[in-house]
Amino acid sequence: MNLSKVFTKAIISSPERQQEADTDLLIVKQVQAGDVAAFDKLILKYRERLFGVVYNLTANREDASDLTQDAFIKAFQSINRFQGSCSFFTWLYRIALNTTLSHLRKNRMRTFFSLEKLHEDGASAQILEQLTDRKGADRDTYLKELQEKLNEALQKLSIPHRTVITLFEIDGLSHSEIAKVAGCSEGTVRSRLHYAKQFLQGEMAKYIRA
Amino acid sequence: MSETKNQSHQSQVTLEDLLKLKRLERPSADFWADFEREMRQKQLSALVEKRAWWQRLPQLLLLPRVYIPLGATAAVAFTLVSLRVYSPVSVAQLEGIPLDSTQQSSREVVSKADGVHAISPVVVNRHDQADDSANRPVSVAQAEVLSVSSAPSVSAKQNIADEDSPSARSIAANFAHLEQSEPELISAVLGSRLSSPARIQSASQPTVELASLAVNNSKRVRLVAHYNDHQVAAEPVATENVRERLSRRWSDGEFNDRYSRIGLAGDKVSLKF
Repeated sequence: MNLSKVFTKAIISSPERQQEADTDLLIVKQVQAGDVAAFDKLILKYRERLFGVVYNLTANREDASDLTQDAFIKAFQSINRFQGSCSFFTWLYRIALNTTLSHLRKNRMRTFFSLEKLHEDGASAQILEQLTDRKGADRDTYLKELQEKLNEALQKLSIPHRTVITLFEIDGLSHSEIAKVAGCSEGTVRSRLHYAKQFLQGEMAKYIRA
Repeated sequence: MSETKNQSHQSQVTLEDLLKLKRLERPSADFWADFEREMRQKQLSALVEKRAWWQRLPQLLLLPRVYIPLGATAAVAFTLVSLRVYSPVSVAQLEGIPLDSTQQSSREVVSKADGVHAISPVVVNRHDQADDSANRPVSVAQAEVLSVSSAPSVSAKQNIADEDSPSARSIAANFAHLEQSEPELISAVLGSRLSSPARIQSASQPTVELASLAVNNSKRVRLVAHYNDHQVAAEPVATENVRERLSRRWSDGEFNDRYSRIGLAGDKVSLKF
């Protein structure tokens, strides 16, 4: 077995992730064999997660939509170069991240927030209950204020720090996965994560426990 | 009361809870419908769009590794075949003389062309074998050029004629037959200027040998050249002819008939005709 594949399998520690990676690889091989429609399965599977990452990095839904589509198109065009040395989702995340970072560097001076509405369902109700005990209009206003303050604080972070905290806290990737996606060491990931959390705690001190 | 309640609630909220709030920012179903439509359009345009050649370079670099040595081998083989097919044929190869010795002697002879004495053996050889007009004064430098340029080319042309041209072969056969049947006629009419291919070939090879000798032993060459210059000079031959002619004209009878008066003055005798 190839050494890089062994390394990749060591990184993908959980069985669910491993099964997911194997499934993705089968679909990718179908696409490489000429089954273009099989790529739609990958789009449906990863579009929300990918959009979430890009959206939290750009804080703009239109930009996030375009960048997510661009990332999928780039992955589709380069699918023949994917040889399975890493998992597909890592490869796809890396493409999306590079596309987004390139966009952010080009439009550094242009900051326009267009936030999504909070999507409340059964699972999210508990989180919202923890955040506020208010009801009615006060509750919505408070959550809106909290959302805006959090986005402002995130946008004050540098791009590498914002990337790390987005992938770790919001998307739920592990340190090793972030290191592979971001192209840095795990130590760097931990360091950036620590700094980003300290900065956000300082910015959001009014709303959280010290 | 409410502020106290709010503060107690704040004390329970952490940064991780706040960041979980970001997970709830999810677009609606309409957004995903538009997303899918736009995505389909971009995907189709990406399929139709012709990519530039530089965008395909990474794909070319990722070809299976077996193709790279195969391509290199094919390129080398093509180059060798092209060189073999289109390379110019050298005169030395046609003559059957080894390329190195011929080229070396030719280069040396040409390089010595500025020096007067170096190539004189070549001159002697060419004059003796190829041209009987020894009385014609020829400068040494001109003769060098003649020997270097003509000696290999004559035999080369002869070989080419022998091998390639049917008319040349028939002419050579006629000459050989005539030489056997009437050798005197051939020598009287043509002399040694035209001869059989074998004679030309045997004449050209000593030229090459003498050329190499000229380079190796310049003192000897200069002496031989000096001797040959004296040999080809016309003056001694002309004096001998004049003496013979005078001796024939001035026989005793004519001498006695032609003078009219004899005078003696001391130890001198004067004749008046």
